[in-house]
Amino acid sequence: MTAATLDAPAASTWAIGTPRLLAGLDRYGSLDHTAHLAAHGPLPPTDRARLTALLDAIALAGRGGAGFPFATKVRATPDHGTVIVNGSESEPASRKDRTLLRRTPHLVLDGAIAVAAAVRAKRVTVAVHDDAAAAAIRRAISERHDGRRVRVELVAGGFVAGEARAVRRALDGGPAVPPGRRIHLTQRGTLLSNVETFAQVAVALRLGPHRFRDTGTHAEPGTTLLTVGGAVAHPGVVEVPLGTPLGIVLSAAGAGIPQAVVIGGYHGTWLAPQLNSQLSHSTGLGAGVISVVDGSTCALGELARVTAWLAAQSAQQCGPCRFGLPALARDVAAIMRGADSTAALHHARAVDGRGACHHPDGAARFVTSGLQVLRTEVERHQAHGGCGRPTLGQLAVPA
Amino acid sequence: MSNLEIDWTRCDGHGLCAELLPARIARDEWGFPLLAPSAVRDDELIDARRAVALCPALALRLEAR
Repeated sequence: MTAATLDAPAASTWAIGTPRLLAGLDRYGSLDHTAHLAAHGPLPPTDRARLTALLDAIALAGRGGAGFPFATKVRATPDHGTVIVNGSESEPASRKDRTLLRRTPHLVLDGAIAVAAAVRAKRVTVAVHDDAAAAAIRRAISERHDGRRVRVELVAGGFVAGEARAVRRALDGGPAVPPGRRIHLTQRGTLLSNVETFAQVAVALRLGPHRFRDTGTHAEPGTTLLTVGGAVAHPGVVEVPLGTPLGIVLSAAGAGIPQAVVIGGYHGTWLAPQLNSQLSHSTGLGAGVISVVDGSTCALGELARVTAWLAAQSAQQCGPCRFGLPALARDVAAIMRGADSTAALHHARAVDGRGACHHPDGAARFVTSGLQVLRTEVERHQAHGGCGRPTLGQLAVPA
Repeated sequence: MSNLEIDWTRCDGHGLCAELLPARIARDEWGFPLLAPSAVRDDELIDARRAVALCPALALRLEAR
């Protein structure tokens, strides 16, 4: 099995428990405004005080990967600014944001328009990387009466182009790369968050804090979207209650016997398949990508392929990333041929935390955790110069 | 208390900062600065300001914290 299925235009969707964000998608390919209202009901009005109280009560964390408390962001945003829905979804295996934008665009718009009303924003911008998502949002705007202040912008692709400050820069007409200085978007009147965050707000406004907390854990109530892929029979975008054990997701996805699982995408972490570990944003779920590597592929080959791709994604702005990630990629390729891990671990430390964005840190975490989980594979490759298995590309990288 | 910070998008690895502040800045294998993690002490401030002013790429900053 390869991960190629995830490259299909529309990912399939399924849920464990009652779907909230994905409600209605079992019956409709996509929800137009009528179907959206039938599935979700009308959106209650809100203001800044009520919205922040709700967000505090449900402890909503941003769903782009960093998990920043959304209430804090809303509080820090001054009146008359801009709300940006970050739909760039540059994590290669992730499909959840595109799925929301294409198939249930009104839920995303509901959340964005409600947040914009609460902070009295002048404008809402939906920033997307692909034409299909842009077309779906434009169509949805035309179906509703409150979409006059919403515009859609296609911004450049690329892994680091999805970083919040890079998106803001691209929308301002600059290059889609992170700036070198720390800037606080909210202080500049920009409230930016991930597509799923706004969809969660739309769900929470309807449910209220008590019903929102009916599922999930005490610390992280509600559901989350995952993109499950790799060596599984049923890849796709999955809505699960927070705190669901990894093993439940893997068996529902039809994973065979995993050799390892990568959680949180390619800035994420390799894990030995601990089936009872609970999925949570505080433990590295990131943007919700779960990729399964089974025993039919060379796992070190998978690690090497993705590391080479990460090196190629450097914006070439920062020296340690520009020189360090290619060195790291060469080290991991050498491990595949039988070298030990010393050089790779050294270069992972050498790039960690030394860039304008978190790309080098994320790459370092990916490689370090991979070598830790695959240490018996490293020994096997050292002893035999390989493992005899082909690298199947279960961890998909864009062409 | 102050911290040295590098704008990595500007730094070209000239290495002047490491020559002026050897106790605080080393260089990695590609020539880029490695900063000591602690805050700049008061008795280092004059040298630190000099390193900031002389960075040819304007990549080094001293930030109050």
